[in-house]
This record gives sequence, structure tokens and C-alpha cells, in this order.
Amino acid sequence: MANIDEKLQKIARDLLESKEVSLIIGYTGGSHPQRMRPVFITKPEDVGRLSFNRHSVQDLAVFLKKQEVKKFGRIGIVVKGCDEKALNVLMQEYQVSRENIKIIGVECNGVIRQDLADKGETDLSENTVYDKCLMCGEHTPILHDYLIECADPQISMSGDIKPFAKIEELDSMSSEEKDVFWEKEFDKCIKCYACRQACPLCYCSRCIVEKNVPQWIDTNFGKIGNAQWNLIRAYHLAGRCIGCGECERACPVNIPLMLINGKMARSIHDLFGYKSGLDVDAKPVFGVFSESDFNDFIK
Amino acid sequence: MSRIGVFVCWCGSNIAGTVDVEKVRDEASKIPGVVSAVDYKYMCSDPGQNSLRNVIKEKNLTGVVLAACSPHMHENTFRKAAIKEGLNPYFVEIANIREQVSWVHDDKERATSKAVDLMTMMVEKVKRDRSIDDVKVPLHKKTLVIGGGISGIQAALDIANGGVEVLLVEKEPSIGGRMIQLDETFPTLDCSSCIMTPKMVEVNQHPNIKLYTYSEVTDVSGYIGNFKIKIKKKARSVVEKDCTGCGNCWNVCPMHKNVKSEFNVNLSERTAIYVPFPQAVPLIPALDRAVCLHFKKGGKCVKCYEACGPKCIDFNLQDEIVEETVGAIVAATGYDLIENSLYGEYGYGKYKDVVSGLQFERLLSASGPTEGLVKRPSDGATPKTIVFIQCVGSRDPEKGVPYCSKVCCMYTAKHAKLFAHKVHGSQSYVFYIDIRATSKGYEEFVRGTMEQDGAIYLRGRVSRIYEDEGKLIIKGADTLSGNQVEIAADMVVLATGVIPKKGSDKVAQMLGISYDKYGFYTESHPKLRPTESSTAGIFLAGMAQGPRDIPESVVSGSAAASKILGLFSKDEYEVEGTIASVNEATCVACFYCRRVCAYNAISGKDIKDRSGKLIKVVANVNPGLCVGCGACVNACFSKTIDVKGFMDDQIYAEIRSLSV
Repeated sequence: MANIDEKLQKIARDLLESKEVSLIIGYTGGSHPQRMRPVFITKPEDVGRLSFNRHSVQDLAVFLKKQEVKKFGRIGIVVKGCDEKALNVLMQEYQVSRENIKIIGVECNGVIRQDLADKGETDLSENTVYDKCLMCGEHTPILHDYLIECADPQISMSGDIKPFAKIEELDSMSSEEKDVFWEKEFDKCIKCYACRQACPLCYCSRCIVEKNVPQWIDTNFGKIGNAQWNLIRAYHLAGRCIGCGECERACPVNIPLMLINGKMARSIHDLFGYKSGLDVDAKPVFGVFSESDFNDFIK
Repeated sequence: MSRIGVFVCWCGSNIAGTVDVEKVRDEASKIPGVVSAVDYKYMCSDPGQNSLRNVIKEKNLTGVVLAACSPHMHENTFRKAAIKEGLNPYFVEIANIREQVSWVHDDKERATSKAVDLMTMMVEKVKRDRSIDDVKVPLHKKTLVIGGGISGIQAALDIANGGVEVLLVEKEPSIGGRMIQLDETFPTLDCSSCIMTPKMVEVNQHPNIKLYTYSEVTDVSGYIGNFKIKIKKKARSVVEKDCTGCGNCWNVCPMHKNVKSEFNVNLSERTAIYVPFPQAVPLIPALDRAVCLHFKKGGKCVKCYEACGPKCIDFNLQDEIVEETVGAIVAATGYDLIENSLYGEYGYGKYKDVVSGLQFERLLSASGPTEGLVKRPSDGATPKTIVFIQCVGSRDPEKGVPYCSKVCCMYTAKHAKLFAHKVHGSQSYVFYIDIRATSKGYEEFVRGTMEQDGAIYLRGRVSRIYEDEGKLIIKGADTLSGNQVEIAADMVVLATGVIPKKGSDKVAQMLGISYDKYGFYTESHPKLRPTESSTAGIFLAGMAQGPRDIPESVVSGSAAASKILGLFSKDEYEVEGTIASVNEATCVACFYCRRVCAYNAISGKDIKDRSGKLIKVVANVNPGLCVGCGACVNACFSKTIDVKGFMDDQIYAEIRSLSV
């Protein structure tokens, strides 16, 4: 661990001292040993605070959408493979330019679920990581300017645990059963929009839910407004969501948002053969007309 | 405060038969803001329009709703009436209670209720209408014509004669297209070169036409009035201004055995430096670097250079890109023939004496490989019996194309006729499905081929062709007599159908115009706008649109020209003001709008502060290109783009008016 932190700190110090970047976004120790939190380093003498371990769950790319971060111009950011996919989408969508960002990639073999970590969990195993880690295909960040190798061993998979098993369970339900399931889940929603705030790809300066002339989406939390919000959020991320899981982690009432996101990602892949965040030069699936689209209405 | 007038049209019994128009009128009068509600038998009639104008004037209306037929029919009529009373035309809205109500429903009560709903929606919409100005786009009065065949030439000449500068771009070294390959033309048997070459020369000499041969259009951007184009002039290896067309170069070229002549459809050879045919315009050879020994053998052969008097051969010439701006474009890319190899049973490619219709044209032509004597390709003997097979590829959904190629019936009749004229005592057999000879003089022409020239027409298909002792044996059916027939012939001519020119789909994609499933360019409206493409400022001509003969191609070239001259008769082009607009305050420049825009109408725009420092980038709509389709509105996550006249609050108000 110390080795990783030292490497991280050296890269950060070099970048800040050479003025290649004016801000480093990374992780530092949190309120207890099993918790990490984001840290923003602007001075070379502060790089000692930077750290990374199996509790670094946050997707730091979310901060790139914030004005107070943007004003730093050139930024260095610590990313896991999954987080880096968010950078790729942000670059695809012209929100981040590659020249202005130094990607400090960290190889990662999984992070421990925060709910378990808060109870003291420190073991990295198939029972303790997020579902996304079990299905991870990008242990090494796709794009990076620096790469720090992984300290953790690969998780051994027994085959007993099926990630996102709930998606298949829902697929097998009737429409009515699904309605009942989701109505119950959305009923919990308190419209705090934490899911939106935590999402690295929800970067609109005015979210559609805040458009009040006219007010398409009910802002109070009721059956219709809740369904509207959750479905629109899902549709706006269809073909874009990279599955970092920050929305679900941020949700104070535990709506299983990754079920929706995961289902959307699967449908997009089935229908269009597209996976979000893998190729910074790819055309976003909903931003392209193709003659091979499964409807022959365009020619 | 809104002062809305609602006008409910009966359309005779078209609407009033199924919709209770008086009820619609009464319901309208109850809506807050409606100050006048009337019904009338024919709103589009002069008295109807006058009553509309009177009410606008007397009640000082701020908006008008017509519950009438589709806006496609009379929106313009009523907008013009509104303009005459000083009302912005975009304050006129139409509730379509004919096509969308009376014509599709029969329950009067429910139809009336739907008509009331549609009318109410439009009242709520018109309350939120804003004044919209039409967009004026300046016109760059220059035209690009793509394709130097007969339709492109006709368009170029007509436009140039109208005083407008034309750039005529042709891929081949000479203009003339397919027509110059033909021998005599039906139904009057004028020699194609005799009537075509004067036009080609006229093009070359015309002060308003700039000719680009051996050139291709490689890039098109912009919009009506302002297309930016790039033309690639392929390296000809000949300095055009110095060449006299003397022919010394091609006469000494050692490559005269292996390269098939495209112009003679592979029936003869050409040299590496060549003009496709003697009357080529311009009469300047092009050097085919793919086959030239100089390029293949490291610069050893320089025979043409040595033979050239003015020393205008330059092996080092490079492709040249010319950039131009034009206001209108004619796409006249022409056609190819269906691949005959699809029809193995006819032996094309296997037997030398089975030829395509276009090859037979070359065998008849005085400028062809046999100098106009009908000789069969295998041994040069004069054929005495020829079998013509029509509909090869055409009207054959299984192996070819389902459509009729239109020209084959006529050119086959012409072939049989010319064969009879050139080889006395010969015999033609024509296998056909139907004979389609519908233009002026065509039926008489085909009759003449049968009756005066003795061609025997057999209604039926050929099942097989094989060779036996120097003869081609044709087995087929004569469905009228019910007999199987077997003919021993010296030659077979396949009346091959036509398909769009190879690569014309790429041209369409570059131009941003649509094409059908066969690749033929589609018209903006098949009947009423047959010359316009789907994109403003781009016009269509010739076989690129579908099978047609020479007179029709000439007509279409002239039609495109007249549209362009009409367009250019004004200094500005007016575009409907119902186009997309961006809320720059909320745009985050993700550019999904730009990605989904089929008209390249969206670009980025820098927002700067007073000191010139960049604050942010936003999407920007080019009013000349935007057609107001709304694809960008759908793509925008934050509802930052709206289409004027269909603003978010209007759509919302329409929907709300239903649920209240």
C-alpha cells in the first residue's frame, strides 16, 4: 500500500511542481480506516495526503463537471478502470478535453462495498466487492498518462455468485409484476437528486427537472413525479452510463438504480452492439444514424 | 390579452358530414381568449378568406385558428390572408379536422369531440405563438453540375444561357456520358454523335461554363445559396493548355494490347494515354497511371513525351483540389448496366457472341471497334441471325431488379431494325415479356421493326443458351403459341436493365440527398416536385433518378435549369422561420444535436466576454440549413433547443388543454 501511495504522491508532486496541472483530484483517508474520501491538492507540499486502496470507491470524474473545479484548467485525476470510462464519455461529449487532463490510472481488482466496509470489512473477495467489480473488464484504465500497478490480488471466483442476477429475475417478470416492483421502489424516492449529483455524466447546467416553464416533471414526491424523474434519468443515461454505481451508492433510500442502468446497458448492447465508455472516438449510440440500424426507416 | 378568432370550415360535406361544425364553433366561443367563433362552408374560397380578413380587422385579432383541412393544403392561403391584415403569418394555426377527423372516423359524436379537442389545442397553442420572421439567405449565383452526360449537359447549357456561371464536373476524360456511346437513337434514328457532339462543343466553347473533366467532386458542405465544394482534378499528366490533341502520344504508346476500352465496353483496346473516342471534348488525352509503363517500370518509357510536339506531357503532375462556392447543384450522375454475369443461363462472359445492348450499340456505331459493320466478336464474321432477349435483369425481383428499365423495349426494336438495314437478308428474333412503347412515335417504331424489317417477336423467356458447332442454340418458350422454340443464332444481344451509376450513393451521401432502395435519387415529391431533391438547392436530372430515355433526360436537365434560374432570379432565398433555436444560457455543448442533425445545420459557437475571453461554447443553428425537423430537440437532454413555432411551452399547453 505504502508503495502505491508513494508513487501516487511522486506523480502528483511532479505534475504540480512542473505546473503541468494546477489541481490533483485524488483520494485520502476518511473518517475511519475503511473509508476513503476525495481530496483536492493544489500545492506540492500537500501531496502526502494522497492515498489509494481497496476502499477508494468514489468515481472522482464527477468533480470535473463542477465549475469550481473547471476553473483550475489543467487537472490531474486519479482513476480506476471503471472511473476512467466516465472520462471517455465526457471527452466524447466535449465536456473534457484530453489536453487539459492528466490521467493517473490505478490498476484495480475491486473495491469493497461501502456498506460492508463501514461494518469493518477489509477482505477483498467476491462476497465483499460491488457487482460491477465482478464483471469488470477494465482492471487497467483504458486511457492513462501514468499507471500504478495493483497491490491487490485478483479475486477468485467460485462461480456461485452471479452479478446483477436481479436483472434476469426482473426480465422474467410480467409487465404488471415489474410495475409493482418499481412502483414500490420509486415510492421511496424523496427527490433529493443525489443520484444526479453523484453521476459523472449528469452534467447539464440546467437539468430538465429544473426547467419550470413549462414544468414537465412534477417536483414534489408523488407517484407520477417519482416515476417521471427516475425514468427520465434512466433514459438520459441510456447508452451513456458506464456503470460506476455512484448513483446507487449515493441514494439515501436505497433505490436499486444499478438495476435500471444495468438493464439499459444490456439492451443497448443487444440492440446496437455498443458499450459506453470503451472508445473515446466512438460515436455515442444515440447520436448516430446508421443504415444498419434495426429499423429500415432510414436510407 | 389574447383575442383569438376560430374559423370552423365545413369543407362542404367533407367535414360537416361527419363533424358537428356548429358544436365545434360553440365550444370554441367558450374558450377564454376567443373573441370570435364562426363556421363557414368553404373557408378557402374567396368569400371565406374575406370573412377571415374582416374578422381579423374588426376584432383586432392576435391569433387565428382554422379548424379545417391539413395545413399542407391551405396553411399558406390563410397565412397570406393574415399578412394582408398586418398579422404575422405564424399567428395562424390549423386544427386538421378533415384528414385527421372527418375522413377517418364515422361516429359523428366522437368525431366532433375529437375535433373540439384538436381545435382547443390549437387555441392554446396560438395564445403562445410569437412573431417569427422568415430567414433570408444570400444566394451565390453559380451552379455545380455533377455529370457530363446528356442531362447534365442540357442543364449546364440552359443555365449558362440564362446568364449564370456553371461548373460542369465529369469523372471521365471526356463529356458525353452514355449517349455518346450510342449509335442511332429511337424513334427517329438520328445518329447519336451527330446530335450530341454539337452540344458537347457548345459546352466547351460557352463563356459561362467551366468544364472539369477527369475530375470528381470530393466534398460538399453548406446550404442552398452557399455550398462550399471541392473538386479533385485528377492528374491527367498532360498540360491541358498546351495540348493540341494531335494524337502523336497515343499513336506511339506501346500499351495498346492489354487495356480494354471502357468506351467500347471491352470490345476493343485502348492505350495508356488515351482519349476515349475521337470526338472527345475536350480533345485532351489522359494518362492512365495504373497501366502506363512509365509508372509501372520506374520511368523507363517516355515514348509519348518524345512524340509530343509542344512537350505538354508531364509525368509529375499531381492531383489538384479546386475550391468553389456555388448556390445550387444539379446531380446528374447517370447509370450503369446490371451485371450480366448474374444470368449464367444466357452465357454472357462464357460465349463471346453473347453481348449486352450497350456492346451492340458499339458494334453498330461508325466510331466503334468494327467501324459500324456488324461483326460478331468471336471471329469477326457477319451474323445472319441474332436473338435479342429483353428484360435481362429488369422486372426480375428474384435475380435482378423489380422495376422496368424503360428503354430496353425501344432500343431492342432499334437494334433489330438497324441490323436488318445493315445486314440484308438477316433475321432477328426478339424474346419479350411485354412491349412498352408509350411515347410519341414509339409504338409505330416497334411496329415498323416487326412489319417492315421482319423481326420475329416471341412472347416468352429464354431458358438456356449453349454453343453447338459454331452456333448459339437458344431454347425458350413462345407463350402465345404455347410452343417450345429452339433457334440457332450467330449472336445473342441481352437487353440489360439499368441501375444507378456505381458510386452515386456516395455522391448522395456527400450531398445529403436521399435515394431509394435501388440507389436512384428520390424527388422531393414524386409528382409535384420531380426536379427537387430532398435538400434545398440540390436538383436532380437524368437517369440518376430512375430509368428514362434521351428526350426525358433532356427535359429533366432543362427542368433543373429552369428551377435554378428561377431561384437565382432573386438575390435572396427565403426560408421558413420555423427553425431550431438554442437557449445559449443552458446549453452545455454536448453536441448530440449536431450528431443527429441530418442537414449539418448545427455547429459550435464561442461565447466571449467583453475582453474577448472565451466563456463557453454553445450549439448554434445555421438558419440556411435548418429545416425545422426537430431531431435536435429530441436529442437535447436539457430541453435547450426548441423549434420556433413549436416551442416547449406551446406543446405543453396543447397537452394540458386535453387533460383539463
